[in-house]
Amino acid sequence: MKRRASARNALLWLVVIVALIVTLFPFYWMLNTSFKPASEIFASPPTFLSSHWTLDAYATILSQRPVGRYFLNSLIVSLGATALSVLLAALAAYGFTRFFEGAATAFIVLLLFTKMLPETLLIIPYFRLMSELGLLNTHLALILAYSSFALPFSVWMLIGFFRSIPLEIDEAATIDGASVWQTFFRVILPLARPGLVAVALFTFLIAWNSYVWALVLTTDSSMYVLSVGIANMVGEYRVQWNELMAAAVIATLPVMALYALLERHLVNAITAGAVKG
Amino acid sequence: MAASRPSRARPFARRRLYGYAFVAPVVVFLCAIVVFPLGHAFWTSLLRVRGLRSTFVGFDNYVHVLSDDAFWHSLVISLAFTSIAVSLHMVLGLALALVLDTLKSARTALRIAFLSPWMVAPAVGATIWLWLLEPQFGVVNYLLRATGIVDAPIAWLGEQLLAFASIVAVDVWRGVPFVMLLMLAGLQTVPPEQYEAAAMDGASTWQRFRYVTWPNLRYLLIVATTLDVINTVRHYDIVGVMTAGGPAEATQVLPVLLYNTAFRGNRFGEAAAIGVLLLAIVLALSTFYIRVTRIGRDEVAR
Repeated sequence: MKRRASARNALLWLVVIVALIVTLFPFYWMLNTSFKPASEIFASPPTFLSSHWTLDAYATILSQRPVGRYFLNSLIVSLGATALSVLLAALAAYGFTRFFEGAATAFIVLLLFTKMLPETLLIIPYFRLMSELGLLNTHLALILAYSSFALPFSVWMLIGFFRSIPLEIDEAATIDGASVWQTFFRVILPLARPGLVAVALFTFLIAWNSYVWALVLTTDSSMYVLSVGIANMVGEYRVQWNELMAAAVIATLPVMALYALLERHLVNAITAGAVKG
Repeated sequence: MAASRPSRARPFARRRLYGYAFVAPVVVFLCAIVVFPLGHAFWTSLLRVRGLRSTFVGFDNYVHVLSDDAFWHSLVISLAFTSIAVSLHMVLGLALALVLDTLKSARTALRIAFLSPWMVAPAVGATIWLWLLEPQFGVVNYLLRATGIVDAPIAWLGEQLLAFASIVAVDVWRGVPFVMLLMLAGLQTVPPEQYEAAAMDGASTWQRFRYVTWPNLRYLLIVATTLDVINTVRHYDIVGVMTAGGPAEATQVLPVLLYNTAFRGNRFGEAAAIGVLLLAIVLALSTFYIRVTRIGRDEVAR
């Protein structure tokens, strides 16, 4: 009996290890390639652990290619979208739970509808709108677009969060002489911090990882975000894969770091939606 | 809830005004960034757009799109891509969740590791895969040749069927983790008493899965499948980066057809019509989703 259980356990671990290799091999290969000198990329057989590992590829992309610029663009756009979307979502969620509780559910249904829209459909009018307003190749165009993807989920999530904060707290603050705005900013927002963190993280990831909107809305290469800049490097005549993979590492690292730091928050936020309905 | 009711109904005229001030920004924002563009997209689908000139042509674009073989070809490719990729996401995601759930040790670390493909930008993930699958110097061909599985390098993205299989494979790599995460969360909601009762009745592993796990997860599985279908059928990035629809349109799923029509062919009217048709497909699926969620809620309430 015991032997059968341990045989079963060994089999399960084998499955896990095989799955883990398939899942993580692309990341290992990305890192491995990014540390190779240019001469070694096209070596046959490929080296699985370079003995001449170097940071050359990183130095090259940061000095001779605008990857630093792409990084900055990604950062500005993602932080901007996060700030805008969290602010709007918190205001709306507070407004609905405190003043229009009856309309909150209807509003959520409406929001979930907008979440279903295929983004490629909205890109066409959005592109034409932004070009008429002269907002192509601006951070603002991307900030607005990314906020709009993240808002439905954020408002939905925060409405749930604000509902769990008892109204007595608002009343106590009012009795103590706080205005409505003070109550919101000084009392309620600090209490909602875990929800705000989850929503902010969610928005940041969406914005950071987005591709096709930036592809359409930026034509000037100094305005490219990382995903677009990297995908564009593939189209070059002779692809420098070590540089490309170094850029991919730079694009992936912040997301992974955030994720490792705030795993709990994010996982709870993502699963809450689907599991609880 | 009941105790706080009177305060909600407090007849403050000014309270209402404050309420509008809180809600208005998001409503204005969504109208400007979502509702107006959506209406504009519908309108564009009725226009012939050539450069800066647009003429109203009624439903001509729809007639044109629906009588074009490229659209039906893309529809078939989209449906094949979505159904194969989603099936694999679900089966592998559930299997992985079940395995991880039985392993008591290292579960959090494994969950972080397994979720990583989902954290990377799809466009960047696709770029990494382009390098792995590179015909001459790519490591996948090297490994296949070194182990003697094939004897000549394979042009993964150069042949129609192989290219289709490759984008499905990359989408599976990206999509499995999310399903796994949902299923892991779902497994935590199964009441342990039910497993204990099953164990007392002498149920086998398969019977425990079939009669305890499966009924408890069924609702979540339907929800996850529908969400995944909606997300996969409208996904652009992976195919856009890896093949842009080629070779010979073998991987031209609907979002890629839409993008190519609008931004490579400069035919915005037709592209908008394709988009509206794609929206109709997504909406039909979403209706199904909403209906299922409602049924699920009623079941839970009972």
